[in-house]
Amino acid sequence: MNRRDFFKAGAVVSSIALAPQTLLAQETKASNQKRLPSVLNPQMDGDVKVFELFVDIYGQELVPGFTLHTLAFNNQVPGPEIRVNQGDKVRVIFKNKTELNHTIHWHGLHVPWRMDGVPYVNQMPVMQGQQFVYEFVAEPYGTHFYHCHWGTLLHMQSGMYGSLIVENPDDPVQKQFPYEREYTLLYSAHDVNFIRNELNSMLERMKERTYLMKNGRFNKERFAVFDSKEELVKAVKNGYQPPYVVNRRAPAELPEPNWFTVNGKSYPSTPNLYIRENENIRVRLINGGTEEHYLHLHGHDFWQVCDDGLPLPQPWQMNALRLSPGKTLDIIIEGKNRGIWTFHDHDIRKVTNNGLYPGGNLLALVYEDMPAEEADPGMMAKKMGLTSFPIVALDE
Amino acid sequence: MNIKYKLLSFALLALAPGLLKAQVAPEIQLGARGVMSFNVGRTLQETTSAVNDFSDTGILLGFRQKMYNRFRGQLVIGMQFPDADSDLGQVFFHQTFLKIEDKSNILKMGRSRVRSALIEFPTLRDDDALYFTDVLNPFSSGENTEDNQYGNVFEAAHIFGQRTWLRIHGEHFTETPKPPATTETDFSLNAAGFSLQYRVPETQIWNRPFLQQLGVGFNNFLTNRSGYGSQWDQALKNLSLSTILNLKRDPVHFWDFRAQGIYNFGFKEVDQIDDFTSMTRTRSLSAFASLRYIYRKLERPSWQAAMSFGYKTFPDLLTTSNQVKSVANVFYRLGENFDIGAQVQYAQNKGELKNLLGKHEIRFQFALIYAIDRRWNNQFDDRESLLNLEHGYIR
Ligand SMILES: [Cu+2]
Repeated sequence: MNRRDFFKAGAVVSSIALAPQTLLAQETKASNQKRLPSVLNPQMDGDVKVFELFVDIYGQELVPGFTLHTLAFNNQVPGPEIRVNQGDKVRVIFKNKTELNHTIHWHGLHVPWRMDGVPYVNQMPVMQGQQFVYEFVAEPYGTHFYHCHWGTLLHMQSGMYGSLIVENPDDPVQKQFPYEREYTLLYSAHDVNFIRNELNSMLERMKERTYLMKNGRFNKERFAVFDSKEELVKAVKNGYQPPYVVNRRAPAELPEPNWFTVNGKSYPSTPNLYIRENENIRVRLINGGTEEHYLHLHGHDFWQVCDDGLPLPQPWQMNALRLSPGKTLDIIIEGKNRGIWTFHDHDIRKVTNNGLYPGGNLLALVYEDMPAEEADPGMMAKKMGLTSFPIVALDE
Repeated sequence: MNIKYKLLSFALLALAPGLLKAQVAPEIQLGARGVMSFNVGRTLQETTSAVNDFSDTGILLGFRQKMYNRFRGQLVIGMQFPDADSDLGQVFFHQTFLKIEDKSNILKMGRSRVRSALIEFPTLRDDDALYFTDVLNPFSSGENTEDNQYGNVFEAAHIFGQRTWLRIHGEHFTETPKPPATTETDFSLNAAGFSLQYRVPETQIWNRPFLQQLGVGFNNFLTNRSGYGSQWDQALKNLSLSTILNLKRDPVHFWDFRAQGIYNFGFKEVDQIDDFTSMTRTRSLSAFASLRYIYRKLERPSWQAAMSFGYKTFPDLLTTSNQVKSVANVFYRLGENFDIGAQVQYAQNKGELKNLLGKHEIRFQFALIYAIDRRWNNQFDDRESLLNLEHGYIR
């Protein structure tokens, strides 16, 4: 393969994804829908909206050619979007199809405390084959999310997070910035080697524990769960080695994310934001990961309208915002500058796939009503005095 | 410069640009094992002792990466301290091989453990019961037990499903040079065989069934048996059968049993044993079995005790000859992968074996054992990880 051919082959995964003719193609727009969280339909039980969630191990493809084992709600990363109205009675039947323990925490919602999903604080973990029914009234309105709260460091970055949108018929955002289309983007960061190794060793440990539990031989030291602090202190005095000490299991290193996703996909598989001239779109940004993201939109100043789901008394204009772990931020983008504009993490280390730029948190704001001649790929070439569309690998 | 070296340097030149541009950082594996024992041996005639026996101590270095297609490639280099009475020198490179593998195929070339045994037994050292547990090398003088364990190997394996392994292997087993020669010069194929095994992966330890392993193996040594023309008649044939049973699959009190039998078809003209070579070439039947108990605490082994027995008989000899062996040992875990252990071995030889190996011997060993296995730059999963076995293989 000569160098020129090599560029062409390499370019397929690097530059083409954001080329105008690709972005405006009907197939691209159709497949973009699949890159946004699917909305989960409830069953009605009287006046209660009943949702069913299960968790299982699922092979998620982040980009073509790279798949990993994840913990996924309803075989989706992120989990399906739960959309309810403020004040709705909500019931979520959660089934655990894995051999690991899980719970669901309703991040930002004012649920009854026994429904908050913290193991041993609010509830027992949901074990292999078990189910747990969460019931709450959807309050307050806004952009929220749900995630697993067992082994949270591993389970969240393994895929257990999803959006929970509580709508308000009198939404002040809608009044101030009338919009018809909205997008949910869930950000996360993954140390895929940590995920793989920890899932494997956790699966092996849980098989052993399940075997013992089935025989009614739950052992506090084995499970590293004690009734009280005093009991732990006493056990350590008597020679018990807790898991965090160096002569037992402590891995000594914190996970270092090497893959960054938007809605469970890395660039070039990330979703895009389609807009028309003079249209407002609402984008709900959720950080379900462990990293900070500094999201910057080219060619526009957008409005930040909500913080953690709460409407801001005074929307702010900006073109870069900080999305910290656990935060949700809502923005309004006004279609005022026709074109194709990238919207990416300005911590460029997170615009990578496995250390290689470009990748990760990179997507585009696309004006779908752009005139065809403006989207003509030959334009870029003509400006450079070339006769054909140049193919440039972005990692050169 | 002979032709071999010319080819080699040409190959290096051709590879050099590729090496310089290589961008894939391989996974690096390090294995190390120290086995130090204080031994006391008693026979009828004498009592001997060794302050420090560190044979089996060794180090393994591995490099692994993904290929462009579905295969993974691996290089392993390992060295070991051979038995003190061997003539292998201070250090013996027991493992030096390349391997490529995908989900269900493995191709391996180089120096490695030969397929002379289907399973391993819970003895302090790999060769404690070698005469019972392994098909013996008929080209060796018997000076080095390593001659029976390591050789130059070419092996292809296919895995049906996840648990049934078919292996076809050809080897060059070490041939002790005939004086005045002091080193081997011929490295041609002198053994070939195959094995078929059902085995449950180690990762599935807590959901595995009663039957852990069942195997059959067939080994052929391609000798120059005098008076016979055809390769088949000249081949010294050995048939092995093995099984491992999980008697009690309890994570706290674990019991297993394992047994292996080896039938050496022998050469009928070999009716007396003068040396190791004739011992390996006469008809024999050996059986070895172990019963093991492991007590596990906090999800790791705490201590282990095992009892093993072996019996071997040589029916074609002019005088009734047999061997028995028993091994009992106990290991206590001091820390992660660090054990203290004690072992007692008893061996008795009857008939012609008595002259070759002594009438009987009892040996006491007190040992410290430390083994590590660490990986850096791990980037992909193993075939037998629980994720790959039970949740879809990711190549
Ligand atoms: Cu979980």
